[in-house]
Amino acid sequence: MDHSALFKRHGRSATTIATLVVLMSAGPAFAHTGGDVIFGFWSGFLHPITGLDHLVAMVAVGLWGAQLGNPAIWVLPITFPLVMALGGVLGISGVVIPYPEVVIAASAIALGLAVAFRITPPLWIAAVLVGVFAIFHGYAHGMELPGAADPVGFGVGFVTATGLLHLCGIAIGTLTRWPIGGRVVQACGAAIGCVGVFFLYSL
Amino acid sequence: MKTRFSVTACAAWAACVPSAAQAHLVDTRLGDFYGGALHPLSGFEFILPWLALAILAALQGAKNGRWVFLIFPLGLMIGAELSAVVPDLTFVPLLNVIATASVGLLVALGMALPLPLFVLLSAVLALVGGYQNGQAMAVDTNHLLFIGGVTAIGYGFIALTSALMLAFLDGRGGWRPIALRAGGSWIAAVAIMVLGFELARVIHAG
Repeated sequence: MDHSALFKRHGRSATTIATLVVLMSAGPAFAHTGGDVIFGFWSGFLHPITGLDHLVAMVAVGLWGAQLGNPAIWVLPITFPLVMALGGVLGISGVVIPYPEVVIAASAIALGLAVAFRITPPLWIAAVLVGVFAIFHGYAHGMELPGAADPVGFGVGFVTATGLLHLCGIAIGTLTRWPIGGRVVQACGAAIGCVGVFFLYSL
Repeated sequence: MKTRFSVTACAAWAACVPSAAQAHLVDTRLGDFYGGALHPLSGFEFILPWLALAILAALQGAKNGRWVFLIFPLGLMIGAELSAVVPDLTFVPLLNVIATASVGLLVALGMALPLPLFVLLSAVLALVGGYQNGQAMAVDTNHLLFIGGVTAIGYGFIALTSALMLAFLDGRGGWRPIALRAGGSWIAAVAIMVLGFELARVIHAG
């Protein structure tokens, strides 16, 4: 069958039908489609997860909190998002913080080593260290926020992802109840430190 | 041949295009009620403060927390109507963010508040939430239906969520209040960042 001849012969009727299809299949217009909110949320949610340097550092915070035990196990994950938000505000407002990528890579190394060697400083030292790193992680996320489809959705997404990564770290950290589990957690810390070294070397 | 081609094309279109058939066309009668009920669910800036308040109410215990069931819907109603009477109060979005951050921080701290302060916070969040949702009303919107929708969803959400949180707190394990406090810190963190974003926008615009 000669398809080109067929389409040429019936070109007009096909165009008419196509026009009718377009006209009749139009859907209603909505003021709030929810698209921006969903895109904003997902872009924020994926930001810490797709960035391996962020991901390992967040998991390390949970691991270290679990190793340090009560009250660090809940103080660190509760204070981290709040301090991270302050860093986010710095990023949003355009304040320039030097070497954010270096400090983020260094955070993975420092936290990874702390877990690998089971370093147990006083709580305030651990909180200050984690807080300083939280500023830089929040700064990196905050720089992306003004360009997001929905800034509130982006904020909800990345705070939720960060919290869930902490929770993953805490869940893995519960292995410290068993001697062999403690070794596994320390090995995770060493691996996180190696990832940090890789990112530092890649800069 | 021409007829067969046209019939095939029409059949293909008829097979591909149809959408779901609606038995109850809400738009013809109660559309504005559903519009009001769904509007608070269209953005995190509406639902996040409600979630924070529901957790805070649960942390106050059943005796003090139940005041929110009265204050919140009343505040939503008044706030939504206020948006029609006094439109364009430009400080309301900023007030919403500040109130959300404050309630989130109070949840993160796990504080039991004096009852008057809790009632005041509930009223502020309700008025602001009602006002922001009420701003979606157009000239031809039926105010009674729309505000009824906002109030109904607000009451349902706050009642169910705070009751759920209270039941969650009653369970075994010291980690339960900590989990709620962590949730409060997440909400406060989001609100602080949005506050920074709004302030930066105001400064850059000025």
